[in-house]
Amino acid sequence: MSIASSSQPLLTMTMAAAILPQLIIAFGITLALLLVAWKRSQRTIALFTFFILLMALLANISLLSQPVIQVTQLLKVDGYATFAFNLILIAALSVLRMSHCFLKTSLEVHDEYYLLLLLLVLGAGVLVVSDHFASLFLGFELLSISLVGLVGYHRGNQYSVESGFKYLILSATASSFMLLGIAFIYSVVGDMSFNARLSSELFEQGLGLFFQLGLLLFVSGIAFKLSIAPFHFWTPDVYQGAPTSVTFLMATISKIAMFVVLLKCIIAQRYLLLESFQTFLISFAVTSMLLGNIMALKQQNLKRLLAYSSIAHMGYLLIVIIVTSEQSLEFTWQSSLFYLAAYTVANLSIFLVISLIQQHNIRSGNQEDITLLDLKGLFWRAPSYGFLMILGVLSLAGIPLTMGFIGKFYILSQATIANAWWLISILIIGSGIGLAYYLPIIFKVFSNVVITSPEDKKIKSHFIEQTLIYSLITLGLILGILPDMVNQLIRS
Amino acid sequence: MTTIPLFHVLILSSLLFLIGFVGVVARKNTLFMLMSLEVMLNAVGVAFIGAGSVWQQADGQVMFVLILTLAAAEVAVGLALLIRMQNKYRSLDIDLLNQMKG
Repeated sequence: MSIASSSQPLLTMTMAAAILPQLIIAFGITLALLLVAWKRSQRTIALFTFFILLMALLANISLLSQPVIQVTQLLKVDGYATFAFNLILIAALSVLRMSHCFLKTSLEVHDEYYLLLLLLVLGAGVLVVSDHFASLFLGFELLSISLVGLVGYHRGNQYSVESGFKYLILSATASSFMLLGIAFIYSVVGDMSFNARLSSELFEQGLGLFFQLGLLLFVSGIAFKLSIAPFHFWTPDVYQGAPTSVTFLMATISKIAMFVVLLKCIIAQRYLLLESFQTFLISFAVTSMLLGNIMALKQQNLKRLLAYSSIAHMGYLLIVIIVTSEQSLEFTWQSSLFYLAAYTVANLSIFLVISLIQQHNIRSGNQEDITLLDLKGLFWRAPSYGFLMILGVLSLAGIPLTMGFIGKFYILSQATIANAWWLISILIIGSGIGLAYYLPIIFKVFSNVVITSPEDKKIKSHFIEQTLIYSLITLGLILGILPDMVNQLIRS
Repeated sequence: MTTIPLFHVLILSSLLFLIGFVGVVARKNTLFMLMSLEVMLNAVGVAFIGAGSVWQQADGQVMFVLILTLAAAEVAVGLALLIRMQNKYRSLDIDLLNQMKG
């Protein structure tokens, strides 16, 4: 973190423009705090958060076609990071609407929820542009601590303390593992920026062991956040216990940011040249793909099922990292960002439907857990919900004409170029097992239902939700048929 | 003045880290688990400061300050959850938190 030559200002205007979205959010957090002191109103703070996120999104979209800019030593803004941040902001915007349902039900004013949401987005925004272990650490912790607050947020829920505590203890342990890893790497390399090079003489002094250990610790810390097996044990419990909107945040924002930073770090440091490192990653990927899919088979609770499916999906994504090589960096970024985009849209569809059903259930006095039975006959009760759900599930399963299929196709084609037949066969087996739990969801949605009371029959929904649902359906359909649109965005 | 080799510093911090980790895993009382987490974070701090002094850079100490901030933030959230747990279960035993299964 040595300061560059003093004649040059540390932060020029172009640099500030490059991190404008992050700055807007940071400024928005301060303003939100002031706003809370001035007037406590659910409506005001929700609108304010929406406005800040929208501004950041607009600023970020305008950055899409910019060249790569190094902002001090700590941050580097490139097209990939901007695209990932776009995804994160869109997810955050839709979470606003999703959480509106469950926040509305009580008399309290939930300023803290919105503040934590903004902090989470800021953390993710710092993570995706970070180019130094210090900024990685800051983003990581901003993201995880605000997520802990959000997971335990819903005081009325019977699981909130449990899942909050589990997440807190495990995520704190994981971040200390990651930090120890960074400390070891730093002690050997002597520089914490991502593109630092190793000097070979240090290796001979017996510190090579510490370097490898550090690398392993660092990756396991991040793997915990990505819920890659064998660091996945928290995932189902926390997914189930957290409010649905927070579960969605965990499934998308936190994973996008972590994956992008992991990819960035691994590519910059050329860790993959190390044989032992490859072996670790391969074993992580294989266990996640198999374990996630097999464990999902017997789940009845929808959120737990999605938790296991996310483990499997992160396993698929790891393949991209493993097979990447010097020549195919561009392709690696494209396929992983596309996959993340597909994953986000699919999860958004499913979680939106889940939160709407949950809202309906609470209103009619049922329990809060959403099981597969709650989906029974959804298509007949509320066709748009059912359709959106099916679209999301098909995309996660990777059926042709959905985004998920194209995403998987990219991964497969990249793995074939690298001749990673082993991984390909595991991926195909995993997706095959996946169908065994994705398809029953669709059967449930279509199954006949005996309507007992008029209460059951109709699920009412607000105008904004209807718009959101229909736009998601069109988005899912269009992007599944014309995936090039996303690709052009990534490439630009 | 004899300098302490980096190797020894790293061994020390690994040992401290391990003590903390065993504490997190083995303790039943959540308050002690939080304290063990602090031990882990401080062990990392030792490693950073040792490495920073070997390389003659301020980076190690800067990281240590950041880690201190993190530890404070984490404990703030942790204690809030602890109080809620105490209110709800009248106990800090981690084994009570096992309602979710499947």
